Amino acid sequence: MSQPAFTVDVDHNQYLHDGARDVSAIATVTSDGTATSAAAGAGPDSAEIIIIDCSGSMDVPHTKITQARTATAAAVDVVRDGVWFAVIAGTSFAKPVYPANGTMALASPQTRAEAKRAVSGLRAGGGTAIGKWLQLARQILATCPASLRHAILLTDGRNQHETPEELAGAISACEGHFSCDCRGVGTDWEVSELRKVSAALLGTVDIVPDPAGLTADFESMMQNAMSKQVADVALRVWTPQQAEVRFVKQVAPTVEDLTSRRSMTSAQVGDYPTGAWGPGESRDYHVGIRVAPGGVGQEMLAARISLVVTTPAGAQVLGQGLVRAIWTDDEQLSTKINARVAHYTGQAELASVIQEGLEARKHGDEDTATARLGRAVALAKQSGNEDTARLLAKVVDVIDEATGTVRLKKKVADEDEMALDTRSTKTVRVRKEHG
Amino acid sequence: MSARATENMPCPTCGQPVDVWDGFCEACGKELAPPVVSDGQPGHVPQCPVCAADPDAPQAAITADGYCESCGRKVPTSRDHVEIDLGPLAGVSDRGQRHARNEDAMALAASGTPDGQVAVAVVCDGVSTSPRPDEASLAAAQEAVRVLLAAARFGDDLAQASVAAVRAAADKLTGVAGPDGAPACTYASALVERGGVTVCSLGDSRVYWVADAGSACLTRDDSLAAELVASGVLAEKDAMASPQAHVITQWLGADFPDPQPRVSRFTPPGPGVILVCTDGLWNYVPEAADLALLALPTALTSPLDAAAALVKVANDAGGRDNITVILVPFPAPGAMTAEDLPRRRPS
Repeated sequence: MSQPAFTVDVDHNQYLHDGARDVSAIATVTSDGTATSAAAGAGPDSAEIIIIDCSGSMDVPHTKITQARTATAAAVDVVRDGVWFAVIAGTSFAKPVYPANGTMALASPQTRAEAKRAVSGLRAGGGTAIGKWLQLARQILATCPASLRHAILLTDGRNQHETPEELAGAISACEGHFSCDCRGVGTDWEVSELRKVSAALLGTVDIVPDPAGLTADFESMMQNAMSKQVADVALRVWTPQQAEVRFVKQVAPTVEDLTSRRSMTSAQVGDYPTGAWGPGESRDYHVGIRVAPGGVGQEMLAARISLVVTTPAGAQVLGQGLVRAIWTDDEQLSTKINARVAHYTGQAELASVIQEGLEARKHGDEDTATARLGRAVALAKQSGNEDTARLLAKVVDVIDEATGTVRLKKKVADEDEMALDTRSTKTVRVRKEHG
Repeated sequence: MSARATENMPCPTCGQPVDVWDGFCEACGKELAPPVVSDGQPGHVPQCPVCAADPDAPQAAITADGYCESCGRKVPTSRDHVEIDLGPLAGVSDRGQRHARNEDAMALAASGTPDGQVAVAVVCDGVSTSPRPDEASLAAAQEAVRVLLAAARFGDDLAQASVAAVRAAADKLTGVAGPDGAPACTYASALVERGGVTVCSLGDSRVYWVADAGSACLTRDDSLAAELVASGVLAEKDAMASPQAHVITQWLGADFPDPQPRVSRFTPPGPGVILVCTDGLWNYVPEAADLALLALPTALTSPLDAAAALVKVANDAGGRDNITVILVPFPAPGAMTAEDLPRRRPS
């Protein structure tokens, strides 16, 4: 199968004043819109696993387990013919539900019907050990040859039956083997715990407060997974000798800091995982480079950003863009702030002040919580992030939006707080300025 | 008046016809001294000059778009910085600090003639508001040096030859005009022989006489500033400060059909140096006496080192424009003949 092409569009102020070293750029990466495989999307190269929490609490209320069964069946119906799939039940242990022998099945009308029959028999009872669920998913996925490997994980509670270290170990063992979208149903689960899984496994995390919402959410996650065409794409950043990559962040559609995910290809080249891509998909990355200072009039290539897939035949570059730096004594040029760099810097700060504010609130540190969430209100206003502003207004009383003057609400519904937390990383996209 | 055909120019050794660009005489096999122009090799220099100078730096390839694969620096195109050392004269042409490319060009030649040795220096400064100014300056310098060297070898009248060279260069530029407009450039030349110097200019490139005993600018700019000064409207300092100062009133190009170059003869009163330059240098150091302070005494014996030092002065002062300087010591240092002239300085 031929690989789709990617375009990398770099937007930044390339002019630096004399002695300046920091180059900050937004790279917009877009995969081309044409479907490359005959199946126009997921085919025999794709594998899907659905992991369903079957702990005892899923029975309280009983609708949680019944809705989870329905949602899983609906997601199985979305799996296209010819895609590998499996279902796992999670408690203090992990157990294959379908196929029962711990392998993967090729989707067909018959296997989908068998899977739904097996899912309908799921009962709640037992504990929660998410690390064990992930490990089993990894083992089962390894039995099939597919390269686009994705999981959906549903839980309703905290990871009570293993230590944080056990979970962390399981997560790191799964990194690079599959991607995972995580969902918490109800409000008795821990956002930060699931975020660890979703961030490491390049997926999303969100709350489904009412079990009745699970079916629509599962269907949409599975549809999104079916649209992916190219697996294990890495953002490759070349930098000059004596340069340092200060950060690499995905900033749209959500903020994900990839800086620590660098794998070195050579001293000057690092790869950052971006997961799987569908046709026409577009994401923005914020890359910060510190270079050796140049003299006025000098031009330097501060970074070359490319998209790379590693196939058995070797690494294949699917598109690239250049980040240039030019030193000038013209202050008109060097002091100009790139609007998109500024916007995404604000969006990244927005995500972190929300998470810090909610954490402080949890520990009773009201001053810090008020300051951080107030800053978040001002940032959301400035950047036009209305969805986040709406979520913030459920947690704080806004006195002055522009200055970020707020008062903490005395009573906040758990689901509102968790929704703000999980969605804090969602960003509003801005387009490149023209002219 | 058209330029004389040059393919039957006589070999200084055997008198058989040779072409002006020939490196060797086909008849006697003697090495000739063809003119050297600042065309540079196409593309970029093969090695990063910064990494090459650092023994600890890893040496890496240059990318197709001209960056060093190791340090990331944009490497010069070979025309960005050109040094030509012919012995009796030497020149340096440099991109400067602000311009994306070098639109100046220079051509140098030194040859034995029936009347002794002649040094030929030509600089052209591409008009940046015209299309392909880099192409214009190179084509004009190349054409002019061809005519000048041939005339010198034949023993022609050098004042007439100077006008003929400008006309030939103008015809050349008329030929390269296209739908995008008329490429254009300025022009300055000096022919230095034992008996004196023939100076010619058009636009605002200049020729100076630089000597301990007294220095002077030998050309008059074809610019609004110069005209204002000449007509007594403004003092020179005020004229140069006006925003229109650099608007030139004559140039080489298809859109200026009948250029009237200024030609003059100058007899040096003693030892000194002829300095031919573009405004990238004289914008920073306009006074002949100041140029003398910077160039002497090095220029008398090592014209290349002195030219490089002058280019550095302009670059250190901001390098707002391309900078080109040719220095011709007078009288010629040593008694070198065309045959044992060094070639281009290895870079």
